[in-house]
Amino acid sequence: MDGPERIERLVRTWMASGRDQDVDETITVISSGQGSLLNVVKTLGEYLTSEEDELRTKGVEFMSAILSGCPPEHFNRQSVKVLTSFLCGKLDDLETVVPALKGLASLTYLPTFTSDDAVDVVNALLMHVKMKSLVQSQRFIVLTIIDNLISKHRDALKNISKHFVPGYISLVNGEKDPRNLILCFAIDRVLLLEFEVKNYIEDFFNITFCYFPITFRPPPDDPYGVTTDDLKKALRSCLNATPDFGPLGIPLFLEKLTAGSPMTKRDTFQTLVSCLPVYGAITAGSFAKKLWNCLRLEIFQATDSETEEEALKTVQALVNVIYADRDSADIPGLVKDVCHECLDLLKEPEKSQAKPAMKTLCAFLSTTNSVSRYTLGCALPHLTAIFHNPDEASNRTPTLTLLCELIIAARDSTPDSSPDVKLAAFKDDLLGIMTVGLKNESSCAAALDGLKALVTTSGLVTNDELGYVVHNVNEVIAEEWANAEEISDTILGLLSTISAHSPTHVEGTTLPLLFGALPDQAPARGAAPERAKCWQTLAFLAKLCKQPTLFETLVVRLTTKLDMICGSTTHPQEDVEPNAAYVHSILLTLRNVLEEKVDLDHTDVPKYLDRLVCRLFNLFAFSVLQPAALHMVASEPRLLKTTGEIITFVVQVTPVAKQQVFVRSLVDAYLNGNVKGLAVGSLKLPEDQVFHPFEPSASLFQKNMIVLFSAAVIALHKEIPVPVQDTSSFLQSLYTWSVQHAESSLQREAAWHAIASILNKRSDDSIVFLTTCQEQIWSTQISNGAPGRSVPDRRYSISAWTWVTKALTTKGHAASEAFVDRLFEVFDDTDINWDAAKAIGDIVASDDILTKKKHAAIRILFAQRYCSRLLPRIVEGAKGTGNNRQQVAYLVALTSLIKSVPKSTYAPEMTTLIPLLLRGLQLRDSDIRVNVISTLHAATDSDTNGSNILAEHVGTLVTAMLENSKVQEMPSFRVRVAALRYLGVLPKSIRYDKLHPYKTTVIKELSKVLDDPKRAVRKEAVDTRSNWFTCSG
Amino acid sequence: MEAYNPNPTVRKSAKQIGRKSALQEESLWLVENEENVEETDEVEPLDQDEIFDLIRSITDPEHKHMTLEDLMVVSSPQIEVGDDLVDVEFTPTVPHCGMSTLIGLSIRVRLLRALPMRFKVDIHVKPGSHQSEHAINKQLNDKERVAAALENPALLSAVEDCLASAGLRGQRLE
Repeated sequence: MDGPERIERLVRTWMASGRDQDVDETITVISSGQGSLLNVVKTLGEYLTSEEDELRTKGVEFMSAILSGCPPEHFNRQSVKVLTSFLCGKLDDLETVVPALKGLASLTYLPTFTSDDAVDVVNALLMHVKMKSLVQSQRFIVLTIIDNLISKHRDALKNISKHFVPGYISLVNGEKDPRNLILCFAIDRVLLLEFEVKNYIEDFFNITFCYFPITFRPPPDDPYGVTTDDLKKALRSCLNATPDFGPLGIPLFLEKLTAGSPMTKRDTFQTLVSCLPVYGAITAGSFAKKLWNCLRLEIFQATDSETEEEALKTVQALVNVIYADRDSADIPGLVKDVCHECLDLLKEPEKSQAKPAMKTLCAFLSTTNSVSRYTLGCALPHLTAIFHNPDEASNRTPTLTLLCELIIAARDSTPDSSPDVKLAAFKDDLLGIMTVGLKNESSCAAALDGLKALVTTSGLVTNDELGYVVHNVNEVIAEEWANAEEISDTILGLLSTISAHSPTHVEGTTLPLLFGALPDQAPARGAAPERAKCWQTLAFLAKLCKQPTLFETLVVRLTTKLDMICGSTTHPQEDVEPNAAYVHSILLTLRNVLEEKVDLDHTDVPKYLDRLVCRLFNLFAFSVLQPAALHMVASEPRLLKTTGEIITFVVQVTPVAKQQVFVRSLVDAYLNGNVKGLAVGSLKLPEDQVFHPFEPSASLFQKNMIVLFSAAVIALHKEIPVPVQDTSSFLQSLYTWSVQHAESSLQREAAWHAIASILNKRSDDSIVFLTTCQEQIWSTQISNGAPGRSVPDRRYSISAWTWVTKALTTKGHAASEAFVDRLFEVFDDTDINWDAAKAIGDIVASDDILTKKKHAAIRILFAQRYCSRLLPRIVEGAKGTGNNRQQVAYLVALTSLIKSVPKSTYAPEMTTLIPLLLRGLQLRDSDIRVNVISTLHAATDSDTNGSNILAEHVGTLVTAMLENSKVQEMPSFRVRVAALRYLGVLPKSIRYDKLHPYKTTVIKELSKVLDDPKRAVRKEAVDTRSNWFTCSG
Repeated sequence: MEAYNPNPTVRKSAKQIGRKSALQEESLWLVENEENVEETDEVEPLDQDEIFDLIRSITDPEHKHMTLEDLMVVSSPQIEVGDDLVDVEFTPTVPHCGMSTLIGLSIRVRLLRALPMRFKVDIHVKPGSHQSEHAINKQLNDKERVAAALENPALLSAVEDCLASAGLRGQRLE
């Protein structure tokens, strides 16, 4: 069968069936060259001219389908012409108009489609197509054709613009569909920009501005994905297409501004910002007064800050347009009027209207240079005069605040590269005013802000002037009232800003002043103000001395101070606590700066291993080796803890090689008594005393030194073994020491941290230790049968066991599960079952020892793995058949575990967990109750699933929380606060109808809690009660 | 609506009242982390700062973006606390302020909800600060009239509007 025959058969089949595959086959035949379009037309002939409406429609439809599918190379010039005029002819036939449009749409894409064809098509469209009788998708085809023609044959259309433009206008008039409108707006813009439309401005105005403001909300399942924003943007591009719209458009905008919602107002402002530059200075100028009247309302009686901001931007746009070409703003007009209006309001700087007035002036600064100069020239002298006016003395603070805003606006409106410094002419006045304001308590903070704004203006303040500022600030630091947090924070902010630009002034004058203010002996017990001043000074130093050279000075000065305080001999009857506390505050300062420096990756930290860490060892070793009662430093746990932290921070960033040397001298000191190699410093260690902190017989103070040992060990790199003969036996002796010889929890914990860290990093050296734990330690020190062990010893041993297990679990060690499982063996032992149960959670609780920064080996998602292995077993045990003791232990384990792992790990189990958690609320331990409440809190807060499950238990929850919030029934205020907080969350996350039955009870019961002895509890009670008062259906 | 005082005097709000307990204040030791403060049995009695904290952030009915503290309508020294008695004085921004009763009522409702029942609360305008001082004071301290006012749904909703921000306790409105 040859091509033409096949086409004929396919056409006939299609006329009967309407199947797509016939169309496709026909296209294949044409594409392969076996047949041609001519064949199609010939065969279709009878249908195309048929008297029957349906046949005609189908004929044209088939043809359009072929046209859209055929490759372009099969259309020669001649066929396009014929087809175009044929399809145009079909536009006046009501039955064929739709398929004809589809066909024409395909033709307009063809390269052989000429401008003459375009003109014909446009003419035919305008003549025959009645948009009102077409549905949305058909109108879309019409608009696509026009859009296509405009982009491809624009010049041809320009030639016929006389009837094309009005024809188009009436064609699209009344269009409502968002997808079509996007096309319309695009066409409108081209016509407005490039076509001769002078005579049709009003018509265009009618077909564009009628859509403003866009209030369209896309339906949830909009197939075309047209958003409100797309429409707004497209429309805006029409509204700002021609200056001719100005005189018509601005009145319409004004009307929308007086009547609209905040949303409309914002849209109008944004549109104005885009339109005003196009409409031009003359139009904008003629409406300036009316526009300002509207804008003023939004700025001075602002309903919300967002609209206010848009209004200010519009003011800027307006000013920019009107004053673009003017060299001076000092001529009657908008800027002058508004400035005067604002200055008038600024005469009362303390009143509320002064603020928006200043905002308006600040907005002017970001417009043209002349306006900005003029505004500053008016406002700064005006405010300066008010400041200096003795009658206005009480208003100096608000005046300074306003000045500060102006300075900031001037600073931020000048690009950094600009050589022009707007404030240069006013600098001396401003610096003068600010230094005056600085000396007065009430205006000090505002003046400091102002100075900061001046200092941060690039190119304004000279180096000498910076010195002057620092000098004046130094004077304020000495004032008693500068202790107030607000002022001291601002002072610090200013000084750190200055020292970032030029550290010499702060280094040269402020630091000596601060160091000088630190006494050599602590203020006496009763001297609280002096003490506060010391803390303040230290806080300043901490903030200012992060930078490497300044930090070096800080370390030198503070370590000298420490040696001085600790090295002097004290009388036994002297009150040593104030000095210890003073030393502590100095150590804390060093610690805080180091922490920040480590976070910022400062590279100078490692060098303080010799300069600081060794000196601290020297200080403490000196202290513990004194025969007399000079143990104030070494005996106070807080000092040891803070010093330990300092040591850890420095050691953790020390490189491997240096750590290796250091750890050798550390071990040599602690195990062999050769303390001099480690504790190098200015204090002379007594020769006759032996340093042997690990000896069971050592003094309490010597034993305390383990804290510092551990602090160094936990920060070692994995590569470094602790240089002892056998790691396993060292760990075992540490374990034994921690349980049997340590004398305080501080010492014990230090030992456990060291064990955990060494085991975690060097587990291959410690296999024997692990075997010993399982085979000896458990049975002799922990388990039920452990002979002759006291209950406290067994408890300590469980804690030690926990840390061992933690070290293994964190790195995902194979032996870890066996260690965990041991704990379940003692769940029936009333002496230690709570400890064992809590340990289950402690093992994966986050801690500060086994961390990446401290070089620990951490397996990813170890906590999740751990939890998913144990949770089913624990839930089973808590619900299960065991005796009551065991059930309680499982419940404790559950609360402890859930507290320690991420919520996602147990979220799917929530339905099972909640009843158990509610039971957990009845356990007597207040830590557990807080845990349970915070778990419930997390479950209620974030996900609806959790809330839904909890909604079923709302009665139980409310009763439990009320019980836990009363001081008579719950002595721990932490629990009371937690319970109240949780109770306060319920109205926000649970449906009101579930809560309604309890509302009255809650409000009534909470009225008793309002009388709690603790302020924090009362505060929560008030907030919670308000939440319940205001919740309703 | 008539504006009683379109341009009132404002001041930058003082910072939040952050208080350490008496024990901490006398401590020799610098506390790093206040959350770690141990539990004590120390009783912290209700004082004027705490009452002020309760009412400072009530929204002014005329200036919806400002609080009573911003407008200096209430202040800590204007509050007195006795064993079972609280006395709150407030200052209308202008002597003809028609909102004074609503402000007083808002304070009354806030304290009604936030203070234990044992306290008798007395609310009055600063002497000489309002032209109908006596009438307002009488209205605010008459139980029956306060109760009747709160029966009025429009009035109650106006009060609730003012109280919506009360929980901020000095944090900024925005």
